[in-house]
Amino acid sequence: MAQPPPPSRTASVGPPNVGGMGAPPASTPGGPGQNSQQNLNQIVLEYLNKKGYNRTEAMLRKESLNVDPNGIPVIGKVADSGGKKWSPSFRLVKNWIEHGLDIYKAELVRLEWPVFVYAFLECVCECFYDEAQAFFNEYKGDFEEERGQELQQLARISLPEHVQENKLAKTYREHQYAVALSSMANATLVEFLEARERDGGSVISTILQNHIKIVPMNRATTARGLQKLMEEKEVENKRGVMWQGEGIPGHYPGSANTDPNASSALSKLALAAMPMDPDLMEDVRADLGQEDSLHPPAPGQNSLVDQFEQNIKQEPQDDAAPNRDAIPFPPSTARDVAMEVQKVRENRDRFRIEGRTGGVGPGLSVTMFTFHNTFDSVNCIEFSGDHTLAAIGTAESYIRVWSLDNRALASPHDPPGFQASSSRRLIGHSGPVYGLSFSPSAAVPEPATNGYTTGASSPDSQPRYMLSCSADSTIRLWSLDTWTNLVVYRSHNSPVWDVRFSPQGHYFVSCSADRTARLWSTPQIAPLRLFVGHDSDVETIAWHPNGAYIFTGSGVGDKTLRVWSVTRGEQVRIFTGHTGNITAVACAPNGHVVASADDKGEIMLWDLRTGQRTKTLKGHGRGGIWSLDWSVESSVLVSGGADKTVRVWDVQPNKETQAKANGESGGGAKIDGSSVGGGGGGAVSKTGGKTKGPVVSPDQISCFQTKKSPVYKVRFTQMNLVMAGGAYLELA
Amino acid sequence: MSVWNPENVTDVAESIGIASLNRDVVEHLARDVEYRMSQVLNEALKFMRHAKRTTLTTQDISQALRLLDVEPLYGYESTRPLRFGEASIGPGQPLFYVEDEEVDFEKLINAPLPKVPREMSFTAHWLAVEGVQPSIPQNPLTDPRSAELAAKGSGANNTLAAISGNDNVSVKPLVKHVLSKELQLYFSRISTAILDRTNDDYRSAAFASLRTDTGLHQLIPYFVQFVADKVTHNLKSIFVLTQSMQLIAALLENQSLYLAPYIPGVVPSVLTCLIGKHLGTPAVDGPTTHFALRDYASSLLSKIARQYGPTSSTLKPRIARSCLKHFLDSHKPFGTHYGALLGLTTIAGSQGVRALILPNLKAYDAHLQEGMKDEGKKEQAEFVVSAVLKALESLLEDAMGGAAANGHPKGEAVRERLVEVLGEVVGGRVLEGGRQELIAAVLERDLVV
Repeated sequence: MAQPPPPSRTASVGPPNVGGMGAPPASTPGGPGQNSQQNLNQIVLEYLNKKGYNRTEAMLRKESLNVDPNGIPVIGKVADSGGKKWSPSFRLVKNWIEHGLDIYKAELVRLEWPVFVYAFLECVCECFYDEAQAFFNEYKGDFEEERGQELQQLARISLPEHVQENKLAKTYREHQYAVALSSMANATLVEFLEARERDGGSVISTILQNHIKIVPMNRATTARGLQKLMEEKEVENKRGVMWQGEGIPGHYPGSANTDPNASSALSKLALAAMPMDPDLMEDVRADLGQEDSLHPPAPGQNSLVDQFEQNIKQEPQDDAAPNRDAIPFPPSTARDVAMEVQKVRENRDRFRIEGRTGGVGPGLSVTMFTFHNTFDSVNCIEFSGDHTLAAIGTAESYIRVWSLDNRALASPHDPPGFQASSSRRLIGHSGPVYGLSFSPSAAVPEPATNGYTTGASSPDSQPRYMLSCSADSTIRLWSLDTWTNLVVYRSHNSPVWDVRFSPQGHYFVSCSADRTARLWSTPQIAPLRLFVGHDSDVETIAWHPNGAYIFTGSGVGDKTLRVWSVTRGEQVRIFTGHTGNITAVACAPNGHVVASADDKGEIMLWDLRTGQRTKTLKGHGRGGIWSLDWSVESSVLVSGGADKTVRVWDVQPNKETQAKANGESGGGAKIDGSSVGGGGGGAVSKTGGKTKGPVVSPDQISCFQTKKSPVYKVRFTQMNLVMAGGAYLELA
Repeated sequence: MSVWNPENVTDVAESIGIASLNRDVVEHLARDVEYRMSQVLNEALKFMRHAKRTTLTTQDISQALRLLDVEPLYGYESTRPLRFGEASIGPGQPLFYVEDEEVDFEKLINAPLPKVPREMSFTAHWLAVEGVQPSIPQNPLTDPRSAELAAKGSGANNTLAAISGNDNVSVKPLVKHVLSKELQLYFSRISTAILDRTNDDYRSAAFASLRTDTGLHQLIPYFVQFVADKVTHNLKSIFVLTQSMQLIAALLENQSLYLAPYIPGVVPSVLTCLIGKHLGTPAVDGPTTHFALRDYASSLLSKIARQYGPTSSTLKPRIARSCLKHFLDSHKPFGTHYGALLGLTTIAGSQGVRALILPNLKAYDAHLQEGMKDEGKKEQAEFVVSAVLKALESLLEDAMGGAAANGHPKGEAVRERLVEVLGEVVGGRVLEGGRQELIAAVLERDLVV
């Protein structure tokens, strides 16, 4: 590739020898120099011998052994070989780990990645550019699968300045990477490194000491003990199992406590539903009573009042409810009462999905809304809570709202004689719109009669506001009565990726590329809380149903899901384990489980109380799961993504299905051929792994493909119908 | 390995007049440039991801540059991926450049405006109904690949897999609809009763039951099918057609039934009775009996449109379109034209009459005159004229009024203008009717337009 430079250029560069000054002297004195050197040694030795300087002679003999015939000193220790030391050292440890005992392998293999990163960065910092590149390219293949995106960011780092500047490199250099090792594994590792000190062991020891925090793990007592690690290793990939505390934050699994001396006990969360305002409750009860007398419940149905009482009382005792005074809300209005009434009614009339019965998942109905002629300019789709409106945010900076029932969207500001159509354009942002959120609303269920419905929901429960966020780093509040912009919230200083109204309204949160999430209330233009702690962009955000916690998921370099208390403004849980950018988060309506999805096609379920991962759901193709939602009973999760599918997942904790699987494979009759061989979930992923297609976990209940439309949004209605939205791609 | 050669840096340096650059500096710069480019790309990928796209666009790059506090590159904005041309500057040294189309300015100005891009819109369909993906055009065909997509584990739902046809077991993907014995009996009784010519009480009892019974929901598809069946096969029997229409009317009246999903199945039958070519046997029923059936069908249609028009945005336009088509087809008999006129009048109202019927009357006049001359068809033509007049009546609803005060021309002038608008036959009739308001309303067309 590198052509000999044309003569004119060398002439213009300047003195032609300047560049070559370093190299030639090393090679030119080859022949004569060699001889003279040897002769010189000989002469000196003879001289010393003659003079009887025995000790000096012995010393010279000893020292000249370390010099090769050319007179260049022979390097004994790998550690002294400058930029070349990293590759052999790393290879040494890598080989040892991979050919070592299997019981330690699962743990030790996790060390490879941080050692690799720190070695590479160290190498760059020491200005061995070419060696750094060679080192990187030699070993990157091993991490491609799990750390592809990080590799992408690190690949081009080639100068010490880049290390100082690159966000990911900085994160690594400024923090210690935590890895859990059992004491036995740790001891053998240290022993090995000491024994092979000269071969590069010392190089690795230095990295371990300076950059890696080894958290002692007690195999016997921890839930994720050796047995479990070994078992899961089969299921997961050959890169071992990621310990939940592994990574940069250095927290205890689940908790957000990064203090090494703190106890591993988790802080208690108030996960129960927010108690209702007593006044509001009174009003709602009165209204429900009235409704009951007007429309007496059908036989077999609860009366609305009974349903309401049931809903209020169903809180389990082991959950504390957040304090109502801690999160102030404006006094309730007639609209709030109407919405509560609707919620109770929908809750009673819904299609029930009460977990799995007899191994058969519920059959869900999905309505797909496909947007045409979008030219791939749609960034996000959002449905209002009463299912009358759909909104899209576009790359062309505007928002478009449609009425789903073809109703004209009129505004009092319309000029007389203006024919309002069923869609509106909201213009105001100066950058692509990335997130939309409707203020809470509830649908009025249509009475199931002979089509004598007006189709319009009562004005009481319609959404009245919408929030949008954009790359222009602003958030805007829009009125859906006048279809105008009401407020611009400025505080973020980077593109705002997502914005969400609180389930109770009034408050909202936003997250941005400036690595913060912020809490706002609609009447105030400054944020109330800043949630700082993520080491990279906060990509997505979600509320806990009681409005006291928020969930933030972040991208490459951090890849954590964090839980923050709204009242205290601090982290209460950190979950690590995702290998891609987190693209969607959703909390179950029961408040105990949160689901997060990444762009590698994995969905993970986390138990908030114990801080543990309960399940990993695989099946989606690469390219991002854009949306997640839970059924009303928290029994089923639905997801939609770039692989043009809507998938339905069973979320019961794994143990039950595992047990069932084992039981059934004993019988062996009901399972189809592919999974009979190995029995249980492990076999499925194995067979899936061999074929090219993605591995599908057995927890997938169903998968619905769309026609060339990536699914941007899925949403469960209060009646357990699924609404999905996507844009049809003609070009694809 | 490196994408960005040090030679490139030297070239750039020369181009801005820096003649001598230290070798170390050049290499350092090359590394830095490469790092910066990857930084921009990484940021751009972020924007691509948040736009939920899988192709990187030039806008993403601009956004990334903005985020990194660099002035974006202007002039490359495009919604489509850029096309690159390739040129060779030496063996194995391809050079890529953005292909720029050469535009002739003169041509560009004189060319007709490009088509407006189609409006963004949305459609809704069922992706799945109770766990089964219906095989409708909006859903992808079930290909063998989908078998892989489905979960294979023991936890997977084998029943669902079987229903959607992904299972190897030869289970027919039929969803069985189980009808109770009682309902089956009820259905057969009702269907024989309403077609019983001999017993009036029997018939009316059946209709009364259909109008009031609450538990008939399961039977609706069967009744709809029954009607469609009877209508297609008994076009010659006015009696059967009438009974079928009455059956639909009875179902529509039943408050406890939810008919909305079945309306698309009902409308064709009703339309057939409204604008069918030959309904009944003229020899038996008399030449004009079918007009009564058409009247009935039109009233039924208007009822359907009133009830379900708001929930289905395409219902009314669809009906109006097929009526108009039949009205404008002069090869169809007068009966069809009569029905189409009635349909249009009831569906589209006065505005529809003004927009759809009135402009066509002049052209239709020729056909009408022909019919008037032919003794065999005269009677039928009269019916059509009456339908036209009825349609014109509806114009009164939104007439401006006060026409007389406006000083319309009188006498012969009025006649001329009426004929101008309505044609010889109808214009004459309107004039004979002598109703000032009606004439005014008809002529108002000129004022409005």
